[in-house]
Amino acid sequence: MNDQGGDQRVHAQIDGTATIESVPPLLAAENVFKHYGGVHALHDAALHVGVGEVHGLIGENGSGKSTFLKILSGQILPDQAEITLDGEPLPLGKPTLSLASGIATVTQETTLVPDLSVAENIVLGRRAVRRWWGLDRRASRKRAAEVLDRLDLHVDPRTIVNRLRPDEKQMVEIARAISMDAKVLILDEPTSSLTDEEVAALFGVVKSLKAHGVSTIFVSHRMKEVFEITDRVTVLRDGKLVAERDTAELDSAGLIELMVGNKLEEKTPPTLSTTSGEVKLKVDHLVVPGMVQDVSFEVGPGEIVGFAGLIGAGRSELLKAIFGLHPTAEGRVELDGAEVLSHNPRHAMRNGIALVPADRKEQGLILEMSIKENLVMAHTARSWRLGRPPRRREAKEVAQAVESFRVAGAKGRGGASIGSLSGGNQQKIVLAKWLATSPQAILLDEPTRGVDVGAKEEIYGLLDDLRSSGSAILVSSSETPELIRLCDRIFVMFRGRIVASMANENASESAIANYATGNN
Amino acid sequence: MTNDRSDVSTARSRQLAFNGLKSFTDASFLGVLLILIVMFVYFSVSSSSFLTSANINSMLTGVSILFVVSIGMTFAMLSGGIDLSVGSILALSCILFGKLANQAGIPIGLVIVLTLVAGAMIGGFLNGGLIGKIGLSFLVVTLGSNILLRGVVNLWSNTKTEQIISPFLEGFAFNKFLAVPYPVWVMIVVLALSLYVLRSTYFGRDVYAVGGNADAARLSGINVGRTIMIVYAITGLLSALGGVITVSRVGAASPLVGETLIFEATAAVLIGGTSFKGGAGGVTGTAVGVLFLGVLQNGLAVSGVQTFWQQVVTGTILILAVLIEKFRSEERISSSLSRFRRTTPDPVSPAS
Repeated sequence: MNDQGGDQRVHAQIDGTATIESVPPLLAAENVFKHYGGVHALHDAALHVGVGEVHGLIGENGSGKSTFLKILSGQILPDQAEITLDGEPLPLGKPTLSLASGIATVTQETTLVPDLSVAENIVLGRRAVRRWWGLDRRASRKRAAEVLDRLDLHVDPRTIVNRLRPDEKQMVEIARAISMDAKVLILDEPTSSLTDEEVAALFGVVKSLKAHGVSTIFVSHRMKEVFEITDRVTVLRDGKLVAERDTAELDSAGLIELMVGNKLEEKTPPTLSTTSGEVKLKVDHLVVPGMVQDVSFEVGPGEIVGFAGLIGAGRSELLKAIFGLHPTAEGRVELDGAEVLSHNPRHAMRNGIALVPADRKEQGLILEMSIKENLVMAHTARSWRLGRPPRRREAKEVAQAVESFRVAGAKGRGGASIGSLSGGNQQKIVLAKWLATSPQAILLDEPTRGVDVGAKEEIYGLLDDLRSSGSAILVSSSETPELIRLCDRIFVMFRGRIVASMANENASESAIANYATGNN
Repeated sequence: MTNDRSDVSTARSRQLAFNGLKSFTDASFLGVLLILIVMFVYFSVSSSSFLTSANINSMLTGVSILFVVSIGMTFAMLSGGIDLSVGSILALSCILFGKLANQAGIPIGLVIVLTLVAGAMIGGFLNGGLIGKIGLSFLVVTLGSNILLRGVVNLWSNTKTEQIISPFLEGFAFNKFLAVPYPVWVMIVVLALSLYVLRSTYFGRDVYAVGGNADAARLSGINVGRTIMIVYAITGLLSALGGVITVSRVGAASPLVGETLIFEATAAVLIGGTSFKGGAGGVTGTAVGVLFLGVLQNGLAVSGVQTFWQQVVTGTILILAVLIEKFRSEERISSSLSRFRRTTPDPVSPAS
């Protein structure tokens, strides 16, 4: 977190005037406007990134970050923008030209070809070295190995990408970007599916890039990471530039305030359940071969129980097994004393179990369909299929959910596409969809993934309110503070087993991390 | 900012107030409908023999087989699949019809019912079962069943056409009720029923849900396998209905029918705006797509133009339709609209 470049930077005020102290920044974007119909996604936004700087682009969902990044990478044509890279105007609206100019993007979704090797993926899209017999694979491998070396990555270039861990895949993406001589690397929420260890490795790469003079634009919802890795941050709110500061000048509370304005109050302490002794959900010797090893626990009515652990520790698989998604699951699951372990989600639902899946876009929602249709989908899944959906009742239901879940941008628009809502509001609909089934056991897998701070707190509030329904609530999350904020008890999983159980008052991030990494 | 269809904005949200109109205004077949209307007007003006009740009736009766099969195909494509075996199921239905009517001597009414049931069973159990319950690829399964069933047709019929003499069938094919030929009534009833099923039942929602995201549908408790089986049963049933209409119009059961039907039916569905990926579109669009093909062919014929032009135009429109869908889904439309909307010619980028 050095700051030797600080005096060379451009200090932009919010009114748009820039005072250049010495050399201009590597990337300067000014007066960026982008409207979609009547909605402005970006309204006079700006961004300045110095050479070798790690620059955080911060904002809530819907603040215009994604639009900004897409403009930089050429995926979207802005209404207006003045963007220069290394003093040269950046060609707009053409992804290939942005890439050629030196702006490379690595997003959450991997764009690697899964069945090709690491080397082939790295050199993909460029002219491979040719010999008279065809492609020279050895030369490609060598080229790939050089890049991997530069990033200090110990991955065999011959490995098929499919076999890599998620973080390794991301590193390969970065390697590909670097091999194209990127000057600016955009990392769009790179850490949301990584564990702490993998994040550390990723940050190592970012730092070594920095040493090579490559700048990074880093987007993340996790404050801790922003403070750990960035030199400077730009905060966007409602499509406008709110602040551009050295990270060292800020603290977490200050940054959050810049992000959300003044709407966030003091952090709410967890409302712990008061029930004692009663058992709502009992899991006994649950086994999913290769994923969950002999897991047993009990959850009381109105109790929120958390599952911490690395990706692959078996948290998600445990929830999926209870919901009947693992045909090989064995053991006993009792809800209100009745055996409910099934191998079919429809049976699990009938037994009063609900699963809010981790991947909102792939599993939680059907993006082609309307807000209303998504909302009622689960609890009408058992209705007579040739029956007519009651339009008036459904409209009322949507209105109620929009009201009580405070879904922004959905009022009176039940027929609109669910995709028109922002991530946090989509997640609220997913939650509402499952609560409408009146479940007795609610399983939530990463309930706030990719959701901004404000919406997160609202979702926590909703889960707190759920306690009064007397359901058993299970939360699996890779964000430890979230578990500490929410849960009465936290189980830590490691390699398919529960290795620790702690009550909320004894739980700490360091203790959980300790067990989760197998140090115990 | 999410980059979804939301931003098509104020004009659209105003229309949301008219809930009934909604399905129409954001329908993807509007462009083709417009071309259809222009074409219809053009042929009506340019040729005196186009806009006559005899010609319109013959045009509509002519597309009736394609119509019902394409409606069936729409179900398959909405669910995210395709049924390559519609032509073979249609041919098999013809042969079965002939055998039941001539050899077994079963009354025609019952023959029709049995043929339709057989079509639904073949579609539902053979195609739907393998795709929905076992989880095989719809392309491979229906390609295989297409070849297999065609083989059965040729073996069973001995590649011979068999005449079927039935005054009832003849009456159905060539008589009218309220000045409208019976096959056209069949089209109307099939369209109305499909529209009802897709738009006003939970099953209809299931079809869209499965086509949109089968994983999410399954996790929501929807019986994806059963939905797919029923979808292919409907496609099979409507292919068999196409077979029944074929038999009635030809007066014979021929093993050669329906060999190119798959191309026309798929084209009609795609021109009608149903997404190749499933989950979006509908039967109204397909009806427009079929009428488009019918009017084009008939109009060119009565104008004395070589009907091969129909193929050129159809192919072009099909590719254009898919192109437009691509632009829609990538939402370039909105950005290009905003580019057009700008009144001052400010530079798109300082760079260019």
